[in-house]
Amino acid sequence: MKWWLIAWREIRWEVFLDRASLLRMSIFIVIPMLFIFSNRRIPLGTGGDLTLVALAAQSVFFPALSGVALIAATFTAEKENGTLVPLLAAPIRDFDIVLGKLVGMVVPVMLTCAVTLAAAYALASFRYGAPRVASALGPEVLYAILVLAFLYLITTGSITMIVAARVRSSRAAQQVAGLVIALSVFVLGGLGFVASQVAEGWPLVAVGALLVLFDLVALEIARRVWQRGEVIARI
Amino acid sequence: MIEVRDVTRQFGALAALSHASFTVEPGEIVALLGPNGAGKTTASRIIGGILAPSDGDVLVDGISVRADANAVRARCGFVTDQPSLYERMPLRRYLGFFARLYEVSDPDDRALELAKVLGLDDVLDTRLGAFSRGMRQKVAIARALVHDPPVLLLDEPATALDPEMAKTLRSFIVSLRARHRAILLTTHDLDEAQRIADRVVVLYRGRVVRVGATNEIRAVGQPRYTVTFAGDAAMALSALAKAGVRGEPAGASDGLLALRFATDDPRTTNTAVLRSLLDADIRVVTLAAEERSLEEAYMAILADVRT
Ligand SMILES: Nc1ncnc2c1ncn2[C@@H]1O[C@H](COP(=O)(O)OP(=O)(O)OP(=O)(O)O)[C@@H](O)[C@H]1O
Ligand SMILES: [Mg+2]
Repeated sequence: MKWWLIAWREIRWEVFLDRASLLRMSIFIVIPMLFIFSNRRIPLGTGGDLTLVALAAQSVFFPALSGVALIAATFTAEKENGTLVPLLAAPIRDFDIVLGKLVGMVVPVMLTCAVTLAAAYALASFRYGAPRVASALGPEVLYAILVLAFLYLITTGSITMIVAARVRSSRAAQQVAGLVIALSVFVLGGLGFVASQVAEGWPLVAVGALLVLFDLVALEIARRVWQRGEVIARI
Repeated sequence: MIEVRDVTRQFGALAALSHASFTVEPGEIVALLGPNGAGKTTASRIIGGILAPSDGDVLVDGISVRADANAVRARCGFVTDQPSLYERMPLRRYLGFFARLYEVSDPDDRALELAKVLGLDDVLDTRLGAFSRGMRQKVAIARALVHDPPVLLLDEPATALDPEMAKTLRSFIVSLRARHRAILLTTHDLDEAQRIADRVVVLYRGRVVRVGATNEIRAVGQPRYTVTFAGDAAMALSALAKAGVRGEPAGASDGLLALRFATDDPRTTNTAVLRSLLDADIRVVTLAAEERSLEEAYMAILADVRT
């Protein structure tokens, strides 16, 4: 359970004490709320339902984007400040460090995602009427969105961490994080478009299956690439 | 306890360490010396299981760092050359965190105990970011001792400590030696090394150029002695000649003159020299062995390998 020690330290002493990461998170929270505000009217029928689902999905995925930047920042900051060295000197598995960092990012970000989703739901109910919103966003849709966000975080988190272990400066890691975020927006946008055309539950399931596959591959790569004896050679 | 066996570490084309071998026994302080970039930090990182060797192996307590790095890490306390602390954490939490990583049985008690030992118990709840450089160094030392390891790898632990604290640290290290810890002390302070190191390893460009007991390394060549006296220099020289040694002037101060001579058998020679000087009515003030300091020996070793 040493990964949990690392994760908890991250959550308790880094994430919520860092102004930059809090600011970033709050921006990602505010943007989806603005979307809901800017949308005047939701038509009845599947088209309107999909718009509501898309708004809910946005309210979760925007804060999820901040997770990528967060993990890139914490990991490279540890490399640059040299605080990674005592951690590497401790009798813990390499995987404890990787998993600890990942969980330390996923937990607070998922928390934020859930809060934003609740806020978006409340805001949408207020603007478009509670029955209308409830009919489009059943509990299974909300769960599906959260599960997808979770899978998305693990995937992008492990990819970012692989890169962060390899590159030297935090600037490079931030650039990579930016790239991952841009790609995600692109891919998610495309999928949203496909979903709006197909209008069934299938696209969501397909995205989920795809992300699970990505996760397995990414975590496996992270485990292999992340050789501790070499990490320090790149500081 | 520590056995470095033919270790090489490449960084690209550069061999930061090449075919290095030396040992550190329990109850022994070994000083790791060498110019900047000689490979000292690299060596202690490899021993501590933080950096993988490119070739060769290190055994700590009989365990190969290649075979079971975590068992080696659990036996080593590592003071890094920079304190590198989590600035946002208070001291108590910081030490508690590492105590838990090392599976110490009472982590919070241990944190308190170490803070007391290092005189940090009044800042237990202060953020580490607010600590001075010397205080940070102490925290790094406390962190290395958190699991009471049998092996200590100290990479320039006394940098930034005030003279009083440096002295406290020195006696602390000596007390750890008395408790049979194996201690590898990397330092640029040759005075400190001379005082506490039992043996010395000198690295130069990644190679071990000298290993030996501190005394042995200091005493190279014939032992030399200096006699200071009040009286006539010529008479003293002839008195020395009568005793069978060739004296050479070694300066004068406060109205006293000094002569230097070399001998392989001080027991006989020095008695004869003293008697002969007294017979010649020369007022002897001191007769003392002239020792090479570790610094002089170190400089000589470096000058030697550079040619
Ligand atoms: N991560 C790294 N990547 C590339 N080269 C490195 C790395 N770490 C060390 N080196 C090189 O290896 C050599 C030995 O470095 P090391 O830090 O072991 O020296 P040192 O003896 O500790 O020096 P100092 O007295 O300055 O602390 C140096 O030439 C250094 O540039
Ligand atoms: Mg060094």
